[in-house]
Amino acid sequence: MRKALETLYGAALAGTCIALATIALLVFLQVSGRALDQVLVALGQPRLGLSVPSLAEIGGYLSGVAAFLALGPALRSASHIRVTLVLRAFGPRGDRIATALVLLVALGLALFMVRAMGAQALTSYQRGSMSYGMLPVSLWIPQGLMVLGLAIFVLALLDELVTLIRRGTAPFRDIERNREITEGGH
Amino acid sequence: QNWDMPTPYGDGIFHTQNIMQFAEDVAEATEGRLNITVHSANSLFGHAEIRDAVRDGLVPIGEFLLSRLANEDPIFALDSIPFLASSYDDAERLWAASREAVTDRLAEQGLTVLYAVPWPGQSLYLRREITDPAEMAGLSFRAYNVATERLAQLLGATPTQVEETDVPTAFSTGRVEAMITSPSTGANAQAWDFTSHYIDTQAWLPKNIVVVNTDAFEALSEEDQAAILAAAEEAETRGWEMSRAETAEKIAELEAGGMIVSQPSEALAARLQEIGETMTSEWEASAGPEGAAVVEAYRNQ
Amino acid sequence: MDITLLSALLVVVLFGLLLSGLWVGFALLAVGMVAMELASSAPMGAVFARRIWGAMTGWDLTALPMFIWMGEILFRSRLSSDMFAGMAPLTRRLPGGLLHVNVFGCALFACVSGSSAATTATVGRMSLPELRARGYDPGMAIGTLAGAGTFGFLIPPSLILIVYGAATEQSIARLFLAGVGPGLLLAVLFSGYVMIWSRLNRHRMPAPEPAPGWRERLRALGLLAPTILLIVGVIGSIYAGLASPTEAAVIGVAGALTIAGLTGGLDRASFLASLKGAALTSCMIAFILAGASFLTVAMGFTGIPRTLAAWIGEQGLSQFGLLAVLLLFFIVIGCFLDGISIVVLTTSVILPMVIAAGIDPIWFGIFLVLVVEMSQITPPVGFNLFVIQSISGRNIFEVAWYALPFFLLLVLATAIIALFPEIALWLPSTMMSN
Ligand code: NA
Ligand code: NA
Repeated sequence: MRKALETLYGAALAGTCIALATIALLVFLQVSGRALDQVLVALGQPRLGLSVPSLAEIGGYLSGVAAFLALGPALRSASHIRVTLVLRAFGPRGDRIATALVLLVALGLALFMVRAMGAQALTSYQRGSMSYGMLPVSLWIPQGLMVLGLAIFVLALLDELVTLIRRGTAPFRDIERNREITEGGH
Repeated sequence: QNWDMPTPYGDGIFHTQNIMQFAEDVAEATEGRLNITVHSANSLFGHAEIRDAVRDGLVPIGEFLLSRLANEDPIFALDSIPFLASSYDDAERLWAASREAVTDRLAEQGLTVLYAVPWPGQSLYLRREITDPAEMAGLSFRAYNVATERLAQLLGATPTQVEETDVPTAFSTGRVEAMITSPSTGANAQAWDFTSHYIDTQAWLPKNIVVVNTDAFEALSEEDQAAILAAAEEAETRGWEMSRAETAEKIAELEAGGMIVSQPSEALAARLQEIGETMTSEWEASAGPEGAAVVEAYRNQ
Repeated sequence: MDITLLSALLVVVLFGLLLSGLWVGFALLAVGMVAMELASSAPMGAVFARRIWGAMTGWDLTALPMFIWMGEILFRSRLSSDMFAGMAPLTRRLPGGLLHVNVFGCALFACVSGSSAATTATVGRMSLPELRARGYDPGMAIGTLAGAGTFGFLIPPSLILIVYGAATEQSIARLFLAGVGPGLLLAVLFSGYVMIWSRLNRHRMPAPEPAPGWRERLRALGLLAPTILLIVGVIGSIYAGLASPTEAAVIGVAGALTIAGLTGGLDRASFLASLKGAALTSCMIAFILAGASFLTVAMGFTGIPRTLAAWIGEQGLSQFGLLAVLLLFFIVIGCFLDGISIVVLTTSVILPMVIAAGIDPIWFGIFLVLVVEMSQITPPVGFNLFVIQSISGRNIFEVAWYALPFFLLLVLATAIIALFPEIALWLPSTMMSN
């Protein structure tokens, strides 16, 4: 179970990395096409006009998907920002209770997000909604991937909560506390 | 009751001003039972989201550019075919001929069409004079959808994707050398800061459309429904007049800004007409017999 | 519900949730939900999904992860330590020494990046660890970064000015030019402050570097060369018409990869680590952006910003009175909303009264940017604070405290350009023919 979960988080983060690298690659191709045209024009030749169709739309979808797929892994690595100022005043027991409460609230909110975005992706699928640009993209594909990212986020929150209840400590909170000791203090 | 109404364009644009007047008329006619709060310039939902926001009942009413839906059904692309209807009279007849088809398609999505108002004719903005259509060859030409891409190709230009907000930078750094847009958009973006020549082709008059969510509309009393429809009819008449007046006004503004305004040369006009015919037949092929019937009805009026 | 009561309630809920340790993105989302529940009948889930889909898939947003990735590559290569080693002997005589790096680094980086979060994240990723290793006062290092990171919006290109220009039909080209003068003014103010502070707090400054000989100076320049080349390359790609400002971020990534590859500082493992680092950091910012975006649409439905702005308009104030009240208004709502949201939600109401008061709309755009910059460093909602918490591990209230002098300098700069509007308006009036 643990191994399966870690693999899932790893795959989600890899998905984000691939999406980001794809954006870089597509933009690089677009700029290269333009550079080639500038050289051709300088040589008195006609432009080739090589370009990536609907780059702006596709790049936007990729960055949305990238952001959402990494939500779970970012929680696990304590990359998401929160204010732990008050928590530091608590003892270990208080910290556990506060962390559990925050995870519970977050879980509720994340379920709201997954439900809302899921319904939207489903509607897009049923309607066959298409993007506006030159290369029509079925909207349910990027929307579905964003929902997948949110679902993994829900799972990661649940995972932290269950670990906290079973073992008395949430992995993300341990990372945070280590960081508070090494970086935050004077 | 309060209706939030997202619109894509800024307060200075005549479409938005017309909508503000429409909202006032509705409030007056319904004796304050229905207040429309206009959220202009994408401030509530972005342009790409407005149609779906109305369709899903997030807001009861909204405005968008009709041809944004071109990928869904060819009928929505009809008002963006160059030189099919390139004057106000023609555009009015084209809207009359296609209104029913557009209304029906949107009705399937739970949307009731209130009215549509055209932008002034789409004309060329360049950084140098062009008289011979051959001079368009290899020019990097702004394309933002399938129709403008095709137009650029047929002109022999290189279609170049540039986001709307990126247009001034793209011109001033040479990434793009030509675009086609209305004198309103050009004057409001102060096109003289980055282009020098305006060729008044008035190629097509794309429309903004105002739609209301059918369920929200039918939930109103019959009296209020009638009040909205009456205000919409007035807004349509007023909007078309504003648009007509705007054309000359904004061209004058471009000239005052320092742009050289000219009519297309005979050779360019002939080439553009040819392209228009090509694109019309391509459209008819994609739109099938139903589409051909609309064009037929338009031509026979 | 009464709008004053509703506003007060939302502020309390936001502070409560943030202080209880809920993640910032979730806290903003929750406040938005409370607002929608109390003040609107629109279906909350569907509004959320539609707005998030629109906001999180914008093309402009793609530059953010790319710039962050570029920073991660540079941080992992030898480039950033080389850069500091190169700059140290050159800034030896300058009071404040390397503390100026944040100011100059951000000003330079702002020439390519249109957003202040990207500017702060990229520059800070390199400068904070280096400054710390060299014994500089951490508070001052963080403060200069927080303050100067806001240049991203003022020095062209600028996302805020594009949004403002599009909403108000002002020339984006002119707005960009108008940002240059005030951008320089701010850089001078920030650097001046650093100099004065370092003279008054000699005991908090690291020991001065030993005087370099000519060989060291040449070596220093050699170490700086790749950085200079990279910056020139990225800015050049925009002005040569090769890349749009959004695309230029990828030129930065490609350039950083090339330099890191050539100088031998980047292997497979550190390449992957840089990509993962960029993925996590940009996800963190995107999550907060998503929350802020939903809060923005909820605010649009409640009409709070609109009503408050309209109320100011009804007071019949003089030109300076109006500006002073608007400044105060923006500072207060800037604590709770992010910059772009403020511009989007209020310009429609505010611009007519500004024009009626005889204020130049181009100048007002610059005023707005300065105000938005302030909002980036005021707690609890300020994107520069979030980014710096993520880099430095200090909490946002602490970061905001370090940034306070720079916040006050922003207020001072606003007063200066109100008294001397030419600082903003001179450049567009001379560069544009008409
Ligand atoms: Na900038
Ligand atoms: Na703030």
